[in-house]
Amino acid sequence: MTDEFIIKIENIFKTYKIGDIEVRALRGVDLQIIKGEFIAIMGPSGSGKSTLMNILGCLDIPDSGKYFLENIEVGKLNDNHLANIRNMKVGFVFQTFNLLSRLNTFQNVELPTIYTKTKLKNRKLVINQYIESVGLKGKEKNKPNELSGGERQRVAIARALINDPAIILADEPTGNLDSRTGEEIMAIFQKLNKQGKTIILVTHELDIARHTQRIIYLRDGLIIKQERIENPVMADEILSKMPKLEDRISVLK
Amino acid sequence: MRSFGKNIIIAFQSLFLNKLRSALTMLGIIIGVGAVVAVMSIGTGAQASVIDSIQGIGSNLIIIMPGGSDDDMGALNQFTSANKESLKLQDIDAIKKHSRYVDGIIPVILSAAPVTYKDKGSNVSIYASSEEAVGVYNFEIDTGKFFSKSDIANSSNVAVLGKTIKNKLFSNEDPLGKSIKIFGKNFKVIGTVKSKGANTFGQDQDNTIAIPVTTAMNKLYGQNYLNLIIAKTAEEKNLNLASEEITRILRKQHNIKSGQKNDFSIENQTEILNALSAVTNIFTIAISGIAAISLLVGGIGIMNIMLVSVTERTREIGIRKAIGAKNRDILTQFLTESVVLSLTGGLMGIIFALVISLLLNKYSPILTSVSFSSIALAISFSTFVRLFFGIYPAMRAARLNPIEALRFE
Repeated sequence: MTDEFIIKIENIFKTYKIGDIEVRALRGVDLQIIKGEFIAIMGPSGSGKSTLMNILGCLDIPDSGKYFLENIEVGKLNDNHLANIRNMKVGFVFQTFNLLSRLNTFQNVELPTIYTKTKLKNRKLVINQYIESVGLKGKEKNKPNELSGGERQRVAIARALINDPAIILADEPTGNLDSRTGEEIMAIFQKLNKQGKTIILVTHELDIARHTQRIIYLRDGLIIKQERIENPVMADEILSKMPKLEDRISVLK
Repeated sequence: MRSFGKNIIIAFQSLFLNKLRSALTMLGIIIGVGAVVAVMSIGTGAQASVIDSIQGIGSNLIIIMPGGSDDDMGALNQFTSANKESLKLQDIDAIKKHSRYVDGIIPVILSAAPVTYKDKGSNVSIYASSEEAVGVYNFEIDTGKFFSKSDIANSSNVAVLGKTIKNKLFSNEDPLGKSIKIFGKNFKVIGTVKSKGANTFGQDQDNTIAIPVTTAMNKLYGQNYLNLIIAKTAEEKNLNLASEEITRILRKQHNIKSGQKNDFSIENQTEILNALSAVTNIFTIAISGIAAISLLVGGIGIMNIMLVSVTERTREIGIRKAIGAKNRDILTQFLTESVVLSLTGGLMGIIFALVISLLLNKYSPILTSVSFSSIALAISFSTFVRLFFGIYPAMRAARLNPIEALRFE
């Protein structure tokens, strides 16, 4: 049954040319992801995880093989359709946040909706709800440079959620954050997953990957191992054990 | 798809981000559009004042000059003695008698002469004509009266003063009935005319004294010929018919055999207007061309800035594409930016040109008039230039690969 898989990838190949050198980034990858799953893709640099991420996010199409996202074969779509899918079905969260620096929190979260054909009802209200849900109430008017790294990533998550996408793709979302802030971001992802969101996380930190339900190991363009995590690390528990920022400051005093 | 208003807002946002750069780019357009509109306003102003001053004389006039105009010597013939005496008072009587279209006709002798009153003196233009000059040349009587038919018949020594010479000789004194000397001969002032102002060429038309044509011929110059004959038709559309008719009458009157050339030339108002318009048109086109080049240079400036802006914002383009912007959206965004830039600049350019033309009108002898067509031309041309130069950078932005754009530092 294809229906239970929100993502189904069959024998995908992708080769890049960098100058004269051919980089065979993906060499026959098969992958199925069930709706509501929280998975991590791990692998050293050059393993093809970024390429896989780009293909999953419809930023790129495979040379051969098939990719079904919610039963739509993505490889057969043109640029405009791909843009629509990125807009409606995929939410991106990047390591470097990728917010527009001259827009404030509200405008950054709003951004995907201005490329959407159908007008969102109660747009302002919905945007504010998402901002509140990632814990940024009161920071609507702040520009990214007035926010901390963790706050910026929360804006990015709210932006990824705004069009209620089928999947969330997070590329090293904690890579630029300290461990506590990273843990807070993971807590948000776990909460979203609990609400039913399918989340795909790319990371090279095993500690972070252990927050998910399944880890896919990639090497030289092939999936070499898949590991089911029976008892994922709960970010909330770790956070409760971690000393709070204020505690650390009081220790320093 | 984003709404039009949203596009404009996004464009303004990013232009505001680079205030200095946007301002400098806009300066190119402001100067370009400003120059085009200002230059054209001077052109149309000049044209309007030419037409005005000619129509001020009367728009349905035919001017008959001595000397043929269609031979090789052209206008120079007017000054060769053989021809310059070809027009006589009898010609006027003949035209009056035989013409169907001519409504009024006057002889004219133009000259300059010294005039004195008591101890005051000045040089003035003497306009010697007949009593009909009031209707044909649009003299308007201010005080007293114009000379009459009997003044012409008797070669009376009477004079009608223009405003300037009246003020020079009499200041606040009432000139009527006073005696002035022209070429040492006594003339009685019988009237003054209202101000006609300066003509197109800056000459004061009020530094003029009108006297009977017979007086000028018999008593001042001792000549039996006229400088000009001015005829008037009742309707403007009959100008050409009247011209042909006059030619026929004068050829017969002057005994010119068929095959021989005219010893006079005829020009009507329309022809003069057309000739003058052609001159001012060439002037306007030439300078507008130079101004258009500055618009073009401004356009290249925009292209440069937009290209820099595309490179600088590669990452932004990548982000926008990643979250669902289509190529079309990016294209629209950058095109809107260049259009907003050019329209804002264009509007400021028009204001700039209006100010310049206002200042010229006020503080210089140049008359200007800003026409709607010049504004429309400048705006549409500048928009065209902007779109033309804006489309390449915008297309480059739209075609960026989102993956590479996101990786761009």
